[in-house]
Amino acid sequence: MMLFAGIVALVFGVVARETLRDRVLYGLKVFAEFMGIGLALAWLLYFLPF
Amino acid sequence: MAEAQAKTPANAWLMGLLAWAVPGAGHFFQGRWVRGLVVASAVVGMFLIGLLFGGHLFGLSGGGEGSSALLQLPPMIANLGSGILYLLCWAGNTGFSDAAEYARRATFEYGNTFLLVAGLLNYLAMLDAFDIAAGRKS
Repeated sequence: MMLFAGIVALVFGVVARETLRDRVLYGLKVFAEFMGIGLALAWLLYFLPF
Repeated sequence: MAEAQAKTPANAWLMGLLAWAVPGAGHFFQGRWVRGLVVASAVVGMFLIGLLFGGHLFGLSGGGEGSSALLQLPPMIANLGSGILYLLCWAGNTGFSDAAEYARRATFEYGNTFLLVAGLLNYLAMLDAFDIAAGRKS
């Protein structure tokens, strides 16, 4: 999941923003969103009984 | 709309086609070396990881009766985004197997996801190369 999120965040950052600073910030934001939502869903599914 | 199309240089369509066919090429030909390298590494890397994980490439020739074959169409469109990588696998019949032992692998669905997203990312890169060539993006 980290590998997937890292690669996708890299491409999103490079394609969607123009300056280096904006790219890094946007890439980190996308990475954090992927990881956060992924982990939240994983814990949610863990507690579901079915 | 016709006016907007008339203003789009032919070069932009060529760059878009090139970017689809060979990941990163649309940016390389416009001198965007870093962007091209990142796109090429990401798309090719994800595609190879997907194949190593035992992922499945979708094609219209897959099984299914009647209209169920159409279910293969959306993932096939996503896979097709990888351009020459998909075509090479199709020519070499690699990754298209429907055998049950592939689907039993623990990494099968991970592989599918990597293969699908590699194609989708390349579509995104293709639009980026097109926009740069059309002057809509710096």
